Amino acid sequence: MATIATRGWAAEQRRSFRLGLLPALLVLAVVTLGPALYLVVTSLTPLTPVNPDTAFDFSDPLGNYKSILTTDEFWASVWVQIELSVVTVVTQLAAGLGLALLLDRPSRFLEALRTGFLVPMVLPPIVVAIIWKILYTPDISPLHHLLAWLGMPIHSLITNASTAIWAIAAADTWEWFPFTMLMLLAALQMVPKEPQEAARIDGANAIQLFWHVRLPYIRPTLVVCVLFRLIDSIKAFPLIYVLTDGGPGGATQVTNYYAFEQTFSFSYWGYGSAVATLMVLGVFVLSVVVNRLGGEAIDE
Amino acid sequence: MSRRLPFHEGVAVLILAVVLSPALWLLQMSFRHNADILTPRLIFAPTLENYTSLWTGQFPDSFVNSLLASSTSTAFSMVLGVPAAYALARWRFRGERHIALWILATRMAPPIAFTIPFFLAFTWAGLMDTVLGLAIIYVTFNLALVIWSMRGFFAAVPRSLEEAAWIDGCGVWSAFVRITLPLSAPGLAATGILCFILSWNDFFYALILTRTRAMTAPVAIVNFMQYAGWEWGKIAAAGVLVMLPVLVFTFFVRSYLVSGLMAGGVKE
Repeated sequence: MATIATRGWAAEQRRSFRLGLLPALLVLAVVTLGPALYLVVTSLTPLTPVNPDTAFDFSDPLGNYKSILTTDEFWASVWVQIELSVVTVVTQLAAGLGLALLLDRPSRFLEALRTGFLVPMVLPPIVVAIIWKILYTPDISPLHHLLAWLGMPIHSLITNASTAIWAIAAADTWEWFPFTMLMLLAALQMVPKEPQEAARIDGANAIQLFWHVRLPYIRPTLVVCVLFRLIDSIKAFPLIYVLTDGGPGGATQVTNYYAFEQTFSFSYWGYGSAVATLMVLGVFVLSVVVNRLGGEAIDE
Repeated sequence: MSRRLPFHEGVAVLILAVVLSPALWLLQMSFRHNADILTPRLIFAPTLENYTSLWTGQFPDSFVNSLLASSTSTAFSMVLGVPAAYALARWRFRGERHIALWILATRMAPPIAFTIPFFLAFTWAGLMDTVLGLAIIYVTFNLALVIWSMRGFFAAVPRSLEEAAWIDGCGVWSAFVRITLPLSAPGLAATGILCFILSWNDFFYALILTRTRAMTAPVAIVNFMQYAGWEWGKIAAAGVLVMLPVLVFTFFVRSYLVSGLMAGGVKE
């Protein structure tokens, strides 16, 4: 009697759960899987809004991909992307780790300061872009005024092809170091106290303590941080749009920006879709890695 | 011990001052006359003229558009995502891992990949340059966020409380509404706020999918930069107005920020 009632209840529960899950999964499918499929389909056509017939022209389905592989501008954008991603991930990790180590102390005061450090990360990206546009515009920049006053005037960093990418990287580091800081701070606070005490009693100095005791504990978080920032760096847009517009001469044109320009400035929709499809593939591979390593980070 | 602490605190305060100075520079700039902006003097006569000229222009409309698109999308995503999150928290089934990976992939996908299909679909459906269209596209990232973040909060509510309600004759959803939902109120608030912030901060989608009618505040600022002949005071004031709601909200959700932004990167 009791078992029958439970079995009926279990079925009832399953039915309720399915009912709760279904609408969300349906909408998610329509707004994510639908566009993803559509994107792949358009990437197989030479679609351009100037000529609507091109939407159904599948005569050369791999045409866009072939021309991507032989376009120097695309490969240049991939190279700029790698440069920007590697530099910003390294600087964000270094700054985030340094600050996390500084703030990881039992102090009410430091805890209160922590919130202040989050500001750059939560500011609307367009506001971050304006802030740095002001800093990089010589006429109004406090930075340029200060350097001139110190007798070391410099030219605009964002209109010079060899410094523009570094100027973007600096702004991006400022915007996103709070993320790595916050994650690493949380990881540092999970490090058990006993091994640290034991190492200290054995006479380990601060560097040894960090390298041999704390680092092994926070390593999984470091890996997740790197992958998260790596993936997000592929989406960098407002900073580049406002500061350099991909220039000068393509010096800051990352792949995302290249796809944007090809699609929305030059109307090569099919070609832009193919570039975007390749980006999604790259990001998906990285996501699978995150999912694996993220799981390991918790299992350990 | 107490002798060493002030050193670290001093260094931290110094670094924080440097980190915040660019944002503070924007703030003071918004109170300068345009003539005072080109001089490096730190002392100036403050003015509200930048703000008043924003108020009389088109900017309030775009501000309202931002508010509408963000709150509509947040509401959509919460209504759909909260029951789904609960089901995922309580129901063990095959394929759960695949759904998790799918949600993570949504969080990771570059916006350009969604923009091209949505641009074509919106043109066809008459949703170009509408607040509703923006709200729909924000669901692409908000829904995944709601499901992932609320799932964690629901998992933290003890099952025994719900089981007691079931024994008293409550159905699954009425027990959920009476017991689990009230206990997860802080999580609901934090998740809703995060959705709002993410939508409010969007620039890319709004730049491409709106023109004039549904233009949001971030896009309006960029238009000042292109057409208004570099009125820096006005640009700074608009920037301050756009960041203000985000700063206020962030203060309330600061402790949930990382788990929200990670949204699925780490399994529980």
